[in-house]
Amino acid sequence: MKPILYKKLVPWVLCLALLSLSSCKTQLAPEYDKAIVESLTANTQKLMYFLATIEDEGTTPATYTDRAASYYTLIGAFDALALQAKARPVPDNVATKKINELLQSKGSDPLSSDYPSAFAFTKISETLKKMKETDQKNGIKPFALQAFKGQILIFLDQAITYESFLKR
Amino acid sequence: MSDVTSIINDIKDISTTILKKDITVVKGFSERQVEAIAKQTVIITEGVASGDIDEELKKFFFDGLKAMAENFVNTLKGILSVTLEKLYNAIVDKLWSIVGGVV
Repeated sequence: MKPILYKKLVPWVLCLALLSLSSCKTQLAPEYDKAIVESLTANTQKLMYFLATIEDEGTTPATYTDRAASYYTLIGAFDALALQAKARPVPDNVATKKINELLQSKGSDPLSSDYPSAFAFTKISETLKKMKETDQKNGIKPFALQAFKGQILIFLDQAITYESFLKR
Repeated sequence: MSDVTSIINDIKDISTTILKKDITVVKGFSERQVEAIAKQTVIITEGVASGDIDEELKKFFFDGLKAMAENFVNTLKGILSVTLEKLYNAIVDKLWSIVGGVV
C-alpha cells in the first residue's frame, strides 16, 4: 500500500474501530420502565388498602357488593400492568442467544420467554378473580383469606423486586 | 500505561463491587420468598384441615404454590441476567478506557 493512501486510511480505520468498540455494550434484560414502576407502586398501595379493609374473620356473600367495585378496579389495574410489562421488546443479541442456548442445553427455559413481573401481574389478577368469585358465591373463610393474601403478596414481591432491579 | 496485573486488579474490583451489591438484594429476596412460600404452605394445610379451604380452592392454591415457586426461580434468573449485563458492560468499559487511553 502506498504511504500516502495508508496515511489517509488509517484515521478512518481507527475511527471505525473506536465506533465498533464503543458499541460492544450488551443488553440481557429489558429496559427499566418508570411508568410501570409508578403504576405498580400506586396499585400496590390500593391493593394493600383493599386487603386491609377485609377483616381477619373473612367475608360473607351478603356484604360482597361493598367490595365488588374494588375487585374490578384492581383486576383491571393488574391486567393492564401485565400487558405493559409484556409489551417491552425482548433483548435480542448474540449474548442473549448464547445464554439461552446454554440454558436450553441444560433443560432450562430461556431467559426472556416471559418476564417474571408480567407473569406475577397475571397471577395477582387471577388470584383477585378467584377471591372475588369465592367472596360472591360462599364468602371467604379465615384461612382461605390468609391464603389469598399470602399468594398475592408473594407474587407482588417477585414483581417489585424484578422491576426495581431493572434500574441499573 | 496499564500492566497486566493492574488490569486484572481493576476487573476484580469492578466485579466485586457489582456482585457484592447485587448479592445483597438476591439474598434478601430469596430469604423473604422462601419464608413466605413455607408460611403459605402451612396456611393451606391448616385451611384444608379446618375446612376453610374446600377441594376447589385447595387445587387453586396448590397450583398457586407451583406457579410462585417457578416464578421465584425465574425472578432469580432475571436478576442474574441484569447482574451479568452490568458485569459485562463494566468490564468492557474498563477495557475500552485502557485501549482508548493508548489510542
